[in-house]
Amino acid sequence: MFRNIDFDVAEREIVAIVGPSGCGKTTLLRCIDGLLPHDAGEIWVGNQRVEEPIAGVAMVFQHFGLFPWKTVFDNVAYGLRMAGASKAEVERKVPEFIKLVGLGGFETAFPYQMSGGMQQRCGLARALAVEPNVLLMDEPFAAVDAQTREILQFELLRIWDERPTAMIFVTHSIEEAVLLGHRVIVLKGRPSSIHETIVIDLPNPRTRATLREPRFAELREQVWGTLMREAREAEFVLER
Amino acid sequence: MTIGAIRRNAPLWISIGAGVALWEIAGRLTSAAFMVPFSETLVRLWQLITRGEFLVQLFDSAELFLTGFVLALIVGAPLGMLLARVRLLRIGIEPYIMTLYATPMVALIPFILSLMGFGFAPKVLVVFLFAVFPVLYNTVEGARSIKPEMIEVAKSYRSTEWSLWREVMLPYTLPYMMTGVRQAIGRALVGMIAAEFFLSSTGLGQLIMGASQDFDTAGVFASILVIGLIGVGLTRLGLMIEQHFAHWRQ
Repeated sequence: MFRNIDFDVAEREIVAIVGPSGCGKTTLLRCIDGLLPHDAGEIWVGNQRVEEPIAGVAMVFQHFGLFPWKTVFDNVAYGLRMAGASKAEVERKVPEFIKLVGLGGFETAFPYQMSGGMQQRCGLARALAVEPNVLLMDEPFAAVDAQTREILQFELLRIWDERPTAMIFVTHSIEEAVLLGHRVIVLKGRPSSIHETIVIDLPNPRTRATLREPRFAELREQVWGTLMREAREAEFVLER
Repeated sequence: MTIGAIRRNAPLWISIGAGVALWEIAGRLTSAAFMVPFSETLVRLWQLITRGEFLVQLFDSAELFLTGFVLALIVGAPLGMLLARVRLLRIGIEPYIMTLYATPMVALIPFILSLMGFGFAPKVLVVFLFAVFPVLYNTVEGARSIKPEMIEVAKSYRSTEWSLWREVMLPYTLPYMMTGVRQAIGRALVGMIAAEFFLSSTGLGQLIMGASQDFDTAGVFASILVIGLIGVGLTRLGLMIEQHFAHWRQ
């Protein structure tokens, strides 16, 4: 599945991963989360080797992964409770993180009552509530509409500013990768490997103004060029 | 009741009224050996109730119904969860479940009679057999339909197997289980009457049988009316239970 994938993520670094469809971006993330076994190579988080899901790593899912029978409060509390948090801790932390993602007042709402954007805010709060060192984002905004996606991108930047973690952000969107990432890793092909790593030397914090900077456009073009070469090759390969 | 509600329900009430009227007329036109009018049925029902006999039989039936039904729930729900989770067990047992679910349970009654005789236990077994398969079947299907993504979320948050059951599998399966419960209520009622007919005669079943043997047509109709109303009531209750647990399933 993978060949020669070797990269590090620093403590307060956002690494965005882009690549053509089917290149295994999501699979890679699930390996890092310990959900999928990897038979060769090693994955380390801090000084802990990943063989199964470990504490300190939390994932935000493309499909939100909320439990539809739980309220916002109970969904956000889920990760904490699984981590063995005491009742008092849950009562104290959950409202804090619900507020952090902008869902204050919706504690008793159920997922089916909420828009996609609100649901993903809830998914984000659940992941943040366990106070992870590493946040794994699996195309988290792919299932929401374009406007909501833009809002959520800047919300994520704001939240990350308040509580920076290491983050691996898998996305289809080049714009999103360049806006969020301190580095963008372009994956290619099958078996997938790292095609190129592009350092995004845009100033922090990233804001809406970042989108208007000439350097942003340059970097976007650079990633686009790299990716499109791959995408074109990938598109015209027949399944064996 | 608002005007709107009255208007919405008008067809229902008109229909019920017409049905009662038709019953009344048909009862008056035919011989009392076949059918009695609605009014006479009500009078007879009142007599049965005031003589106390009716309530005794009703409690008898209720005891049988509840024992068999609760047993079906206690066995059906956990077994269903287990079968959904343990593949080998499911493959081994599923054909039997499907066969028994499709078999008209009444056909088993002679066998149960010869095996267990006329006591309370064989009757409970009949009610149990009528009720258990809808619970079992719906629970298995429900628990199996859980999306792998949800289990993955649980795994990602380092859920233990026990927590996975309690926090994810069970709440997800409950609405399906309750669909089974709703179906089981109706079937258990049929099982109850069948058991009371064909095994030792007790309860509402005996009331019908007894009245029929005495050519007490009014008594037969009064019992049938009550059983029908109980059936409607229990089905409504089943629907309410089902909806209560399924509010998030949209």
